Amino acid sequence: MSQVHWTRREFLHTVFVTGVAATYGASLLQGCVKHQETTNTFIAKVADYESDIASSIIAGIRELSITPSEIKGKKILLKPNLIESGIGGIHLTTHPLVIRGAIEAFLKLGAKQVVVGEASGHTRDTMRIIEDVGLIDILSEDDIPFVDLNYDDVYTIPNLQHFSKLKTLSLPETLHEVDWIVSMPKMKTHHWAGFTLSMKNLFGILPGIIYGWPKNVLHYAGIDECILDINAAVKPHFAIVDGIVGMEGDGPIMGTPRSAGVLVMGRNLPAVDATCVRIMGYDPRKVSYLRKASEFLGPIEEPYINQHGEAIRSVLAKFSLEEKIPAHRKLL
Amino acid sequence: MKNHEILPYIEDLRKRLLAEGGFASRPGGKYRPDSNAWAIMALSITGTDTEFLKPARIRLLKDQLDDGRVTISPEHQDVIWPTSLAIMALHGSSDFDVPKSKAVTFLLNTTGEHWAKRPDEPIDHNTAIKGWPWVVNTHSWVEPTALSIIALRISGYESHQRTQEAQLMLMDRQLPKGGWNYGNTRVFGKELHPMPETTGIALASIGGQAPYQTIERSIYYLKTNIDKMQTPLSLGWSILGLSACGERPVKFNKWVIHCLKNQNRYGMYDTAMLSLMIIAFFADNGIVKLLSATSKKD
Repeated sequence: MSQVHWTRREFLHTVFVTGVAATYGASLLQGCVKHQETTNTFIAKVADYESDIASSIIAGIRELSITPSEIKGKKILLKPNLIESGIGGIHLTTHPLVIRGAIEAFLKLGAKQVVVGEASGHTRDTMRIIEDVGLIDILSEDDIPFVDLNYDDVYTIPNLQHFSKLKTLSLPETLHEVDWIVSMPKMKTHHWAGFTLSMKNLFGILPGIIYGWPKNVLHYAGIDECILDINAAVKPHFAIVDGIVGMEGDGPIMGTPRSAGVLVMGRNLPAVDATCVRIMGYDPRKVSYLRKASEFLGPIEEPYINQHGEAIRSVLAKFSLEEKIPAHRKLL
Repeated sequence: MKNHEILPYIEDLRKRLLAEGGFASRPGGKYRPDSNAWAIMALSITGTDTEFLKPARIRLLKDQLDDGRVTISPEHQDVIWPTSLAIMALHGSSDFDVPKSKAVTFLLNTTGEHWAKRPDEPIDHNTAIKGWPWVVNTHSWVEPTALSIIALRISGYESHQRTQEAQLMLMDRQLPKGGWNYGNTRVFGKELHPMPETTGIALASIGGQAPYQTIERSIYYLKTNIDKMQTPLSLGWSILGLSACGERPVKFNKWVIHCLKNQNRYGMYDTAMLSLMIIAFFADNGIVKLLSATSKKD
């Protein structure tokens, strides 16, 4: 395992402070320097879905200094991305074997219970997706409950951040019943948001019975703004990004498979997503919701992210974007 | 037909009636108006007495506002999609003609957000054709529009301009290769994937109205995929969609019972799903004709 040394961080921080303003403009810099606490992310090389994924996740959790007492006896909600199922759709949804790996990892580390939950955004029939992708067999074998968050009882809270027009957020009761919320997205491009990773994945927590299929309320209220509001309200505890095979091009549905061969983990979701964007070959400071998130949710600048496990450069996998998509043009 | 095979599931549904009136969203769960409406429909078409269902219909009206809308909960007054289901549930009893009529009026006076499409928009469908949204002040989508068409058709508004325009909207949202999804056809030049449940809902609403050749590719999509469907929403709506088009699958009863037994695999179905399967079992000619016939008996 390689670890970035303090001296390198110091060097990068100096470069950042003196050079980035000229490159990206003062307003962007202002957005990036406000959150100056450092955080840790972990990158594991995982060649394919037959690998020992549970061990990689356990290694990541340990490397990230998560203590046994933080997990022991706790109830864990895994929130994968199960947006649609499709023929040959290995790149569409979080792979069931990554979900199984996470289940095994948390149980081995002493979790009292692991549940899997999703509020699929394009179909009311989440059950069909978990059947189609083979997740139901894993859950049945391991006796793991699945909660269709689209139909969960809801509680409503004020939207305190007000980035979007939403006055309130209605969230599934299941969130009240768990100790850990783990966002488990697929590493994908997105034709409205640029990238969909652990922060955007939380759209899939909001119940469809309140927000519809698709969750058009969030589109009208502003996608980037809702990502920020939801993450600020939900405060997820951990992220595990399935980048073993991701999606490039016209994501999140119509893109093509792109193997990056990685799992990316961390407690801080903006930092995890920024790391993913760098692995995908782009500058996270150009992703508007990440730039804004760096002001109050967590860092996205390299000097403030202690990179554990593999170095980004050793797993770099350039994901293609499409020039014709406006959200992608901004990233090129 | 071995109707006795479905009787235990009807009994399961009856047991979900809450003491306060209305049906729980799942065994041991809380009240929800959409679940209540589905249960009322399923039980009314199976001949359950109206006195048993009366408290459930009265409970439905507690979430009806003065303008006629029925909302998902009192604190979500913009979430209007249960209105069409409430119309269907109230349709079976003449005691509720007034609130039903108010709900119909609300539908007729309400649309999603619509606009003349700009040339640079990346979506293909015609954004100007009016249907119904899940939530007010958002665009119209396939399921709420199809459910509203069903509600209006059984209420005698088959020829109303809104019903006709909504049918046009659904035709416009039909995927070029067949089927429907939630309501986008092509985005950034790529045709999206169909989904069985929304294809079934769309066909259930316009079957018998739309010329066969205009929906043939969607019927084909369902017919070639239905034997692989195991989940209640996809299977139930696919059966109802095909039945409305005169294509009721020969093995529908076997598939429905198998799907109901699959609760061992998936866990207990929620009330809406259980009700949908019961309705699919009995709706030989689709849900529009079944609900219409039920009201005539009443």
